[in-house]
Amino acid sequence: MLSMRGIVKSYGAVRANREIDLDVSAGAILGLLGENGSGKTTLMNVLYGLVRPDAGRATFKGRPLSLGSPRAAIEAGIGMIHQHFMLVPSMTVTENVMLGWAAAGSWLRAAAVAARVREASRVYGLELDPDAVVGDLPLGLQQRVEILKAVLRGADLLILDEPTSNLSPPEVGALLAVLRRLRDEGRSVIFISHKLGEVLDICDEVVVLRDGAVAGRRTVAGASRDDLARLMVGRDLTPPLARVAREPGDEVLVVADLHARDAAGVERLRGVSFSVRAGEIFAIAGVDGNGQAELAEVLGGMAVPTRGRVFVAGAELPAGVAARLDAGVAHVPADRASVGLVRDMTLADNVMLRDADRAPFCRRGWLDFAAAREAAQRGIEAFAIRAEGVETPVRALSGGNQQKVILARELGRRPRLLLAVQPTRGLDPGATRFVIDRVLALRDAGAAVLYISTELEEILAVADRVGVMYAGRLVGVVRPGGTDLTRVGLMMAGALEETPDAAALYGVKA
Amino acid sequence: MTAGALARSVVSGGAVARPLASAVVGIAVALGTAALLVLFSGRNPLVAYLALLGGAVGTPDRIAVALNKATPYLLTGAGVALCFRARIVNIGAEGQIALGGLAATWLALRLPHAPALVLPLLCALAGAAAGAAWGGLAALVRLKRRVHEVLVTLLLNFVGVLIVGEVLQGELGEPGAGFPQSPLLPSAAWLPKLVPGTDLHVGVLVAVAAVLVCQVVLWRTPFGFRLRVLGASEGAARYAGISFAHTTLLVMMLAGGLAGVAGAIEVLGVHYRLIEGFSHGFGFAAVSIALIGALSPLGVLPAALFFGFLESGALAMQRAVGVPTPLVSVIQGLTMIFVLAAMALSAARGRV
Repeated sequence: MLSMRGIVKSYGAVRANREIDLDVSAGAILGLLGENGSGKTTLMNVLYGLVRPDAGRATFKGRPLSLGSPRAAIEAGIGMIHQHFMLVPSMTVTENVMLGWAAAGSWLRAAAVAARVREASRVYGLELDPDAVVGDLPLGLQQRVEILKAVLRGADLLILDEPTSNLSPPEVGALLAVLRRLRDEGRSVIFISHKLGEVLDICDEVVVLRDGAVAGRRTVAGASRDDLARLMVGRDLTPPLARVAREPGDEVLVVADLHARDAAGVERLRGVSFSVRAGEIFAIAGVDGNGQAELAEVLGGMAVPTRGRVFVAGAELPAGVAARLDAGVAHVPADRASVGLVRDMTLADNVMLRDADRAPFCRRGWLDFAAAREAAQRGIEAFAIRAEGVETPVRALSGGNQQKVILARELGRRPRLLLAVQPTRGLDPGATRFVIDRVLALRDAGAAVLYISTELEEILAVADRVGVMYAGRLVGVVRPGGTDLTRVGLMMAGALEETPDAAALYGVKA
Repeated sequence: MTAGALARSVVSGGAVARPLASAVVGIAVALGTAALLVLFSGRNPLVAYLALLGGAVGTPDRIAVALNKATPYLLTGAGVALCFRARIVNIGAEGQIALGGLAATWLALRLPHAPALVLPLLCALAGAAAGAAWGGLAALVRLKRRVHEVLVTLLLNFVGVLIVGEVLQGELGEPGAGFPQSPLLPSAAWLPKLVPGTDLHVGVLVAVAAVLVCQVVLWRTPFGFRLRVLGASEGAARYAGISFAHTTLLVMMLAGGLAGVAGAIEVLGVHYRLIEGFSHGFGFAAVSIALIGALSPLGVLPAALFFGFLESGALAMQRAVGVPTPLVSVIQGLTMIFVLAAMALSAARGRV
């Protein structure tokens, strides 16, 4: 039904898709598997017309498909259900279906559309009330509204981008049942996921992407979990980076049974316990969206856990950012541009961003700009920040130099614990190396480091111990030296769970 | 463009020189546009503007009137500028002025025998407290009930003005006045004159001092830093441990307090009594002035004076060439539009 040939797409130096071929037959569900950054989303955006490829072509239902126009894709019969729904929460199901739908006519005929909603809902087992307000529906039902929209618009090929990431287990089961019905009707589905279990459960065929290329194709009948996991993560391993050999010291960070919900009320952390010792880097691996963001928010003091306790250096940490700063916890957040820095403020302002009411930047209630400028100047020198001066707005700096400003501020507080979240995301190799070297130096000097990243390769090179997070829990803890990658891949995909013992979780020598 | 986007474009305007140039250009274009309107009505704009200028600065008396008119603009404009810095859209100055005036009047009528100098001070403090409470109330509704502050502050304006009207119908009203106003305040409560023989009262000094204090607070204190971070990036503010609720409540109370003082000064220095509707229009003027002043308290200084002089000269212009006084409101509105446009343009060019 669909055939894509030689799709190439680069973003600057990053080759997101290199010569990808993809085929989907009618009445089949194709699983698209891969880690973050493997090129899944780019490829689907190319197919749906959101991104124009540098090279490549596609045919759909025997006719050439013009790439680069969502309208052409929709008219040809391709529907895409994004991870974040494109619905108007204050409108009813019927109104959302009518919205932007030419076939609904120039006049609003809500009753007629509602009848079609009811009919389609019955046929596919969607159980949708046409008059329900979308914002009141649980996420699983909102997703069905999206599916209904696509189906009523005549989509013969449905693309679902990580459709189960926001769903509870019963909702997942219901979604898979709906997808089976669509397949039995002769429609095709592309199911993007990194969860092996679901892919093996629902798909007929699996394509695994790695580093922007097809790493392998398997029919589900002939695929094994180990095989797919290896295809997903398999690569030449870089050996762990050189470091001072040292016995792990005392526990600096202890996390006990942490639970937390996201802004939408979905439980994202479901009982996480571990500790990080002085002079050790504990890294958390996992595919994006498995609770790492919430863990970072809670440990950084920006979110409040629903349950569980956090201790730093033996004392329980109260809520709030200030308590972290007092306890000597540094935090390099994942979003450098809109959280870690204020882009429109100067370098000096950004250096005192989190400490404007403490010494040396605050003296007897007044800001001491001279101290801020001095600290910024020291940062420029110590971290080789390329900036015109301390009064330069940080938006004028490159991504690598922006990250250096954050490092200068956070390492400048001489932390006993560093919380580093995706510290190298989007950086070029030189800047990446710089950041990692600084983190290693901090560890060598005896600080504890919690290193959260989705880059497995980087984690294995940096970490002393690696915890793998899946669905809000630590499903395994491994040592990077001599690690069986397949095992890690299985854990990341939720297909393997080892209940880590206390020695692994708390870093006691086995 | 939403008020938030406006605020952002103003904030990103850069240092001092560029907003100043933008203000001059904007005012010139506004005056030019208004001149066309005068021309279309068959009158000579040059003559009209000369009359306006004469009315504004022609005699010491006129200057005194202009400065008196600028006083509430200075106080409210500076407070609103601080709120907008934190991207909190406070358009509630009118209600805060109303209650500030009410509190000052109430206290002055309760303490008729208090010594002069002390009484105005007490009354101003009462006005500040009432205004701060009104601003704080808006902040609480915003924080607890999550109603947008534009709506809360706007609606509380009506409530505040209606409370004043209600009180003037009853307890504080002057019996037999035929107009909703309070009795004349005891003269001990009147603000002393700054220049004998003119209407100029000491309120303008209070206002200028308040503006300077706001400037220092914004740029030299951790609280001002928190305001600026919050306005520039909510995510970074959270990361920096800045409490949105705490900061919002504080800045709204500060702005409300300044507006309350403005209300007290209007009562104690201009009218010598509480009059229904005395706060009319100040809320929106404060927003215009804060925006023209590039959300900088120091920028509010010339903006408020400009508005004061325009209004002071309006009557003279009407007498001289028959151009109706509302033209001054048109000039004020045009000034805001053109100054903002000039700032947005200069910010956009500054980026490239």
